[in-house]
Amino acid sequence: MDASERALLEQTVRDAISSTSGGFDKVDEVLADLGWLEMLRDEPHDAVAIVFGALGSTNGAGSMLDDVLLAALGMTPEPGCAVLLPPFGSSAPPASVDGDRVFGTGLATARATTASEMVAVAVTGDAVTIARVPMSAVNTEPARGVDPRLGLHVAHVDVQDADATGDTRSWEPALAAGRIALAHELAAASRAMLELARTHALERVQFDRPIAHFQAVRHRLAETLVAIEACDASLVAAADEPGPMTAALAKALAGRAARTAATHCQQVLAGIGFTTDHPFHRFLKRTMALDGLLGSTDALTFDLGRELLATRRVPTLIEL
Amino acid sequence: MDIAVFRARLNTWLDEHHEDVAPPFEPPGTLDEQVAQMQRMKSVLYDAGWMRYGWPERVGGMGGSPMLRTELGAALAARDLTDPGLFSLIEVLAPTLIDFAPVELAAEFVPRLLSGAEIWCQGFSEPGSGSDLASLSCRAEPDGDPATASTWIINGQKVWTSLANYAQRCVLLTRTGAPDSRHRGITAFFVDMDTPGITVAPLEMINGLSEFAEVFFDDVAVPADRMLGEVNRGWEVAMSILPYERSSCFWQLIAHLYHRLEMLVAVAPDDDRSAEVIGDAYVALHALRARSRVTQHRLASGATLGPETSIDKVLVATTEQKVYDAARRLLPGVVELDDSASGHLWRSEYLYSRAATIYGGTYEIQRNIIARRLLDLGAD
Repeated sequence: MDASERALLEQTVRDAISSTSGGFDKVDEVLADLGWLEMLRDEPHDAVAIVFGALGSTNGAGSMLDDVLLAALGMTPEPGCAVLLPPFGSSAPPASVDGDRVFGTGLATARATTASEMVAVAVTGDAVTIARVPMSAVNTEPARGVDPRLGLHVAHVDVQDADATGDTRSWEPALAAGRIALAHELAAASRAMLELARTHALERVQFDRPIAHFQAVRHRLAETLVAIEACDASLVAAADEPGPMTAALAKALAGRAARTAATHCQQVLAGIGFTTDHPFHRFLKRTMALDGLLGSTDALTFDLGRELLATRRVPTLIEL
Repeated sequence: MDIAVFRARLNTWLDEHHEDVAPPFEPPGTLDEQVAQMQRMKSVLYDAGWMRYGWPERVGGMGGSPMLRTELGAALAARDLTDPGLFSLIEVLAPTLIDFAPVELAAEFVPRLLSGAEIWCQGFSEPGSGSDLASLSCRAEPDGDPATASTWIINGQKVWTSLANYAQRCVLLTRTGAPDSRHRGITAFFVDMDTPGITVAPLEMINGLSEFAEVFFDDVAVPADRMLGEVNRGWEVAMSILPYERSSCFWQLIAHLYHRLEMLVAVAPDDDRSAEVIGDAYVALHALRARSRVTQHRLASGATLGPETSIDKVLVATTEQKVYDAARRLLPGVVELDDSASGHLWRSEYLYSRAATIYGGTYEIQRNIIARRLLDLGAD
């Protein structure tokens, strides 16, 4: 896909998401019509970057994360199949296995309300167990929290005779793929916050001049751009050198960029950014929720530090 | 040569010739030792051909992508064979000769810089012109008509001139237009440091080394054929350095910082606090390396580097400080009190890292550029 094709597709996806009210079922529907699953199969990297970028920039919510995880687990993504996500802030496989019993508590995307089955991943020794569980054996309740529009649910899985397959496929590739998707979404949401604050700074007049004139304001917005560009570069690195560490770093940097953007942009937006009249709050709340999926910035940073200390090595990961 | 092949061969060679290029002292050593080591190492590397890759054949190079010389600098930094700040000065000096000097002048002198026969310095900043470089006032007057004068007479002062007290030559910016002509009235010269009238006064830095100096010019006569570029077009010379400074120099420094973090990881206590601090520095380092890589790939594909490299500069400066802050936090008493060579190294580099947000355009200037040029927030 060349740059102009990509730009066109990005615009098409954004327009499609914006044409809905941002609700997850409608977003899923328009993306299915645009051939999301075919794109994910044929050009997974571009598909994820474009779709999750569009979700981030439009504040749209869908359940495409389930598809990304299923594909990375080597399964065929389908709208009727949801995935049990780790609890907020965590990245470990959320389920446990005890004989034929599979059980665990985690999060689920809004797909939990429409799917007919759920995939639950559990650690069993060096490998993982992948269990397909009928939704009738899953107890879900909405986790509205700070961002009800995202459609997250808490899901409790407990099934005695699960259709479980011991599998050599590791949880790592799924985690890496999910983190990359979420990093794209966080980066785009951060850019949206920056654009809102930038526009406000140019329009808002105090002391007879736009507040964009003041260096204190300019420097906050500049630091926000630096954080977002750093995240974008880490996404290029993760695409060129796929692996668990480059993906974890990209998600950590995306969460960082989102925090920087939220802090600086909210301060620049000041009073209006504190109201629900202005769209800023939706992006702030979305990034708060997304940061906790598949490992928060803090958890990822800590885990990376732990890994470096354990190996006493500092891998450079990417070369010229 | 393919860059990955070059990297592999270079590392094999460096493994095999470690004794020939390694410092004969325990780092950091004195500045005299550091400079002597750098020149000796360059001479060995030049003779073996490594110092010539990535430089044009007309100045004694062997051609190929400039990224080859970036790889060399990074490999040397990662092995602690030389200080990347001093070594990468080549990147901001040689290209000005190659791009702006008469062909014979560049062909005569650039090999001396690459081979370690000479050290050059860069006379840009002045006491009254730091962030605002275009206000510089060191004066060059033609001895006669500017179009035909055979000699120019220079009077004024430079400051923060790295290695001036070791240098044989200086790439110098002078005021040749009206005092208020700013970037339209600046001319660059290539000056011999032993020319009568030049006085060098070293400045002791916060870490005890005298890397910088003040340089005074008192009726210094420079031949007109030592002019770099054209009269009043010196700003182009100054700006031409930016792509090298913001690509190759940064990549070398990044390699050095990875090496330092690895040194820290080797001795840091194995606890949660270390994990947090080291993780934080590693995430920042990775962002910097990823960004610099993107920038260098853009440069290699023919893009012109511009204000977006201010983002690279902010990341370099803040990350360098973060790495040394991590060392200070995790090795209490080492930076502050340890008088061993290793304590001296951490202390010296910790203190030097405080300048990272000052030199090469301050953190404030970079954010001003980002705000104006990248975010389009209008004039400040």
